[in-house]
Amino acid sequence: MYYLSSRRQIEAKMATLDLDWEEVRDTLRTWREDNTRHSEEVVDMWYYCLRHYKHKLGDERWMVEEQVVIAGLDCNRLDVAEPCLVSLNEQFPGSLRIRKLKGMRLEALERFDEAMDVYDGIIRQDETNSSVRKRKVAVLKGQGRYADAIKELTEYLKKFMSDTEGWQELCDLYLKEGDYSKAAFCMEELILSNPHYHLFYTKYAEIKYTQGGLENYELARSYFCQAAKLNPGNLRALYGLYLSCSQVASSPKCTTQKKKETLRLEAWALKEITEKYSKCRDVDGSKIVETFRSLSVTDKA
Amino acid sequence: MAELLLDSDIRIWVFLPIVLITFLCGIVRHYVSVLISTQKKVDLQQVQDSQAMIRSRMLRENGKYIPKQSFLMRRHFFNNEESGYLKTARRPAAPQPMTDPNMMVEMLKGQLTNVVPMIAIGGWINWTFSGFVTTKVPFPLTLRFKPMLQRGIELVSLDASWVSSASWYFLNVFGLRSIYTLVLGENNAADQARIMEEQMSGAAMNMPQDPKAAFKAEWEALEIADHKWSLKDVETDVLQKAELELPIDIQSYANTA
Repeated sequence: MYYLSSRRQIEAKMATLDLDWEEVRDTLRTWREDNTRHSEEVVDMWYYCLRHYKHKLGDERWMVEEQVVIAGLDCNRLDVAEPCLVSLNEQFPGSLRIRKLKGMRLEALERFDEAMDVYDGIIRQDETNSSVRKRKVAVLKGQGRYADAIKELTEYLKKFMSDTEGWQELCDLYLKEGDYSKAAFCMEELILSNPHYHLFYTKYAEIKYTQGGLENYELARSYFCQAAKLNPGNLRALYGLYLSCSQVASSPKCTTQKKKETLRLEAWALKEITEKYSKCRDVDGSKIVETFRSLSVTDKA
Repeated sequence: MAELLLDSDIRIWVFLPIVLITFLCGIVRHYVSVLISTQKKVDLQQVQDSQAMIRSRMLRENGKYIPKQSFLMRRHFFNNEESGYLKTARRPAAPQPMTDPNMMVEMLKGQLTNVVPMIAIGGWINWTFSGFVTTKVPFPLTLRFKPMLQRGIELVSLDASWVSSASWYFLNVFGLRSIYTLVLGENNAADQARIMEEQMSGAAMNMPQDPKAAFKAEWEALEIADHKWSLKDVETDVLQKAELELPIDIQSYANTA
């Protein structure tokens, strides 16, 4: 499948006006199926190309228009979103999906209370509609009412407890509020849902590292280690591993045997990082190592 | 044996009409069932229960990747004697299909779109086009196939590869599946064969799962689930692997540092 990846590429194509509408349609379809937003590109593709071919799309037209509405709201291009919303509304009056889009438009206009009313109305009609419940959280987040958003989202997760997206969002909200132990709980939930994804481990370890204390440093060390094992290219995990190792080693409660092991691990992490950097020409690896030594808490002189 | 010659009128007035009628009936049935079917309302409680089951299963399978404390905490949430989710949930027992009026209406609709037209059209075809030899399969068949392919014609001397009109109708009923998929798309309601399968195996499958029993099973499975932290040896693993790959000692790095 051909992807129109960069914006510049699109613009170049627009300029020569040889953008094939079927190609654009296929690209949009892949994005829809993959659940990726690409809002700017979608708006451009619609505006410069597909807008003139909508009669040729058949039934797919409505899905494309829904996609364009969301993309337009993302980019604050109400001039693009609104005509699509109007035509969708004419085609499907009373549809809950369209009502949700209307609510999103109100959100984009910062009329949050009205948007909330719209969403509440939808939930009254269809109480299993999870995406609308999540939008309500988004409204609260958009207003900066994080505590309320957390409350709403925990209520939501009580009902839909295997929604990983929800847990991820809740984790970020807790991090914003600085509630690390609860954020760690959410990350554990994500690890349970996908135990082979290294970034979940990295984030969990980072939260544990931030919490501090020997026990948490040791946990962080294990989880950074696991992340580095799952993806040897995860530089952030290697940095984290180095830092958590030095924290553990510097702790007075650490036994000698443990300390020896930890120092070896620390050395390994450092070696990996140095090797990674010596491979790229632009960065001087030695300087980074230098910086790292100064970061280290343990006195190794 | 002398070759049998069919009147070409049979092709025009029997063979093709049967194909056409069965095909159009399928199409009509599809649209009628779309018209009268109601969207299944999902209960919020059901959603919550199924999601809880998924989460509990994930905890059992992947619990080894989180610290023991966290694992126990979650198990407590599900399995605690007094307040555990799987213990306290009081769900009504699975409704009896015969007593639930909604269920009855659903069943009636199913009967209306599937069984009634089948009997009506089948009977009509049998009555209108009975007794024709319509076509011949282009390969020889044994006598065993006679009752299948020559329904309605009881001729001992007729070769088994000839197909009677009634049998031709049934062949069409069951054989048009891919054509319907082509015309109406996947998951259409026109296909008889699928409906027959459902009716055969359906009775037990259609019944909603009894949440009580499912919870009990999940509770048991979670109760015996053991936590064996899989990250316990990850550090030594990584070090050992590194030493195997690169014999030059990491120790020297540590010393120079």
